[in-house]
Amino acid sequence: MLEICGLSKSFGGVKATDDVTLDFADGSLTAVIGPNGAGKSTFFNLITGALRPDAGQILLDGVELAGRSPPEIVRHGIGRAFQVASIFPSLTVQETMLAAVCADQRRASVLHRRFPLPETRDRAEHAMELLGLASKRNRVAATLSHGDQKLLDIALALVLDPKVLLLDEPTAGMGTEERWRMIDKVRELWEKQKITVVFIEHDMDIVFKIAPKIVVLCYGRILASGTPDEIRRNEAVIDAYLGTEHHEAAV
Amino acid sequence: MSEAQAEQGASTLNVSRTGAKSQRYRDVLIALIAFTVLASLPMLTSSKFLLDFVIRCSAYGLFATSLNLLVGYTGLTSFGHGMFFGLGAYGYGLVMQKTGVSIPVAFVATLLITLVVATVIGAICVRLKEIYFAFVTLAFQMLIHSTILSWVSLTGGDQGLRGGIPRPAFLGIDLSNHLHLYIFSCALLVIGLLLMRQIAQSPFGYTLRMIRDNAARASFVGIDVYRAKLTIFVLAALFASVGGMIMALFVSGAYPEFAYWTISGEGIFINMLGGVTTFLGPMVGTVLLLILNDTVTRFTEYHGIVLGIVILFFAIGLRKGLMDFAYEWYAQRRDRERG
Amino acid sequence: MDLDALTGCLASSACLVTQTTSGLIIGMLLFLVAVGLTLIFGVLKVVNFSHGAFYMFGAYFAMTAYQLTGSFALAMFCGAAGTAVIGLIFERVFMSRVYGADVLMQLLVCYAFVLIFDDVVRMIWGPEFKSMGMPAAFQVMPLFIAGGVVPPYYLLLIGVALAAALILGLGLARTRIGKVIRAAAHNPGMVSALGINTGLIYGGVFALGGMLAGLAGALAAPVRSLTPGMGFSVLIESFIVTVIGGMGSILGALIGALLIGLIRSFGSLGFPLFTEGLMYLFMVIVLVSRPSGLFGKEVA
Repeated sequence: MLEICGLSKSFGGVKATDDVTLDFADGSLTAVIGPNGAGKSTFFNLITGALRPDAGQILLDGVELAGRSPPEIVRHGIGRAFQVASIFPSLTVQETMLAAVCADQRRASVLHRRFPLPETRDRAEHAMELLGLASKRNRVAATLSHGDQKLLDIALALVLDPKVLLLDEPTAGMGTEERWRMIDKVRELWEKQKITVVFIEHDMDIVFKIAPKIVVLCYGRILASGTPDEIRRNEAVIDAYLGTEHHEAAV
Repeated sequence: MSEAQAEQGASTLNVSRTGAKSQRYRDVLIALIAFTVLASLPMLTSSKFLLDFVIRCSAYGLFATSLNLLVGYTGLTSFGHGMFFGLGAYGYGLVMQKTGVSIPVAFVATLLITLVVATVIGAICVRLKEIYFAFVTLAFQMLIHSTILSWVSLTGGDQGLRGGIPRPAFLGIDLSNHLHLYIFSCALLVIGLLLMRQIAQSPFGYTLRMIRDNAARASFVGIDVYRAKLTIFVLAALFASVGGMIMALFVSGAYPEFAYWTISGEGIFINMLGGVTTFLGPMVGTVLLLILNDTVTRFTEYHGIVLGIVILFFAIGLRKGLMDFAYEWYAQRRDRERG
Repeated sequence: MDLDALTGCLASSACLVTQTTSGLIIGMLLFLVAVGLTLIFGVLKVVNFSHGAFYMFGAYFAMTAYQLTGSFALAMFCGAAGTAVIGLIFERVFMSRVYGADVLMQLLVCYAFVLIFDDVVRMIWGPEFKSMGMPAAFQVMPLFIAGGVVPPYYLLLIGVALAAALILGLGLARTRIGKVIRAAAHNPGMVSALGINTGLIYGGVFALGGMLAGLAGALAAPVRSLTPGMGFSVLIESFIVTVIGGMGSILGALIGALLIGLIRSFGSLGFPLFTEGLMYLFMVIVLVSRPSGLFGKEVA
């Protein structure tokens, strides 16, 4: 279980994350929503160690992660994908996967053997299969389509066998149809891998349709959290964020 | 900047132990053939000039290839890599002159000195990024250069280490014999290249490529970027130091120019000339630059102008090194044949 | 090492004045070179590795102009203006081709010109040391300040450099062109979107940077000996200055240059052989404690 307790971070007086306390049960699927500047990405950056929290605890299965470096946190089982696909442009899909598994097996500084290591093969293969990238294994990452680069980014997180997978806007920059395909993929991964998935999403149709649990952030604070039905009925959320349109639609 | 995928194209489909292993055997085979060819050169020609040329190529080639591990593979543009070339030359010369140990012992001692110095300097430098990294390495280069100039009692100041460096025979190898020296340099070159090739193609080599491409992402895959950068900084320094030792053996002395920034500048230029996307690019660049230097100085006293125009041709005209050019041409042709 | 000389000097007002003035003129010359370097970096994001050559051209132009006309003012003008033209041509014809390219390419193009310019000077003026000589107007009794000897030319040099710093600072802060230049440094895309020709701005900034280096060379010509390759040590020192002060910061360049000037002048007493080493050491310390320099913007 991932437990966040009293997490805070400010930039020059502006509280980007303000006393956030949240639990993510094992195997849960949670959507994080909120207007622009609500502190969603900061929240992810704090959990993954890209930013150091001013206060608060981050416990993964009881292990304190707050204040640790990104590589350490990754090793404890929190993987992430980025809003803008963050990949290794000059490596092929397969090389990317194999090298990532190497790093996960703490073989990133092995000098006396040749890349790729045979023992990294199965996991790399598995991740490529899961994300449907196997047929593009020899493509150099820079030449992949936008959607495939996003998939590769997710594969890069998934290949490390994380307990928790954080996806920062997996559907960013995609057309409607592609969005649905991507989100189906995310759901499928969640069901197959039985891992905890937390994703940021702007498309409310997607959020309310697939997320069993929704967290609403606003000005760095938790405005509400609960099931889609609870969120839909929450007065504060309606006022601040969803607006009357959604309210009416829900009714 | 695409990696040398030509060779991988075939082998990545089949990620097996034999695939990776056969690659290594192939590299060893190429190295053996190269060494045999170089070693038999004295039987074909008695030109001392040609053999000297190969010795100089060994020294600069090791240096330039090690710089490529930083620039090409890790994306660390060092402008002070030449300091380790100078350190190797001076370290070796001083150990030999002052202690009178045998040559292999002096080699190991110099490598140890380089290891310590490079670890300290690297620990400071690799924290910085891009242009700042380039400048701090340059500053350290100049620091070492001015230390050499000012510590006259140890280094001989601007006169350099003079009086010759002793070359006692060991294991039947007599380096005061020109032929022995030649074979010894070739052996160091081939072994050095083989080791660096191994580094480049090891899992660590791919860790370096990840850092070059996207260091932030690499840290989210669980890589300790700082440690990896420091490791390659030190490893590259060791090979540069071997280059410097060959140079000191060859001229039987060490001079402040070996530690001057221009050595670093030439190293960068060599990498540019040959290209950084292939492993042997810097080696090709070394041969080209030395030929260029030798011919130009013979025909004109203004070799700076000629060299400058050549650099401009590569930097503005081609925008890549010779081996990059050849490699792209090869890749295009292969694609066309495949249809 | 000669620490006695250093402490002895610190105790004597005459020596203190002499060393401080000599530190100031080193610092002021360095500032003029470094401020051009930092300006070019701030706007074009290019490190002009051939900036030292501009300093060299400034000195040689001034010497030739002085020998032909005998006018010191004209010599200064030729040094500055001639170098500005070279800077403009260099940027428009060569540097503008490698803006999008790798840092390595930019450094190499500059490296090529370091080699070419040095040889050009060697061809035209010869490889031997040259001297412009002190203009007659300044061959007067030196001033004595608190027992220290200060040649009047030094005062002129410091004054001109300070004036240049002031004009530059005010020009960037107050004038329309200054605002456009600062905007270009901040966001090049926006400037071209506003219909302002970025090529013109870039060329202009390069010419301005070149001019300042040329002016420094011209001012230095009466007190330094001229030789091909004289620009390189100045270049390295002004790199140190910009790195210490923070790339892109004019105030940083001024403070950095004065610090280096004083380190050089007093260091030469205490550590005569290791003066340069002191500068590099100082730079390393600054960079380790503040990687973006004393006045540089934090690198995000």
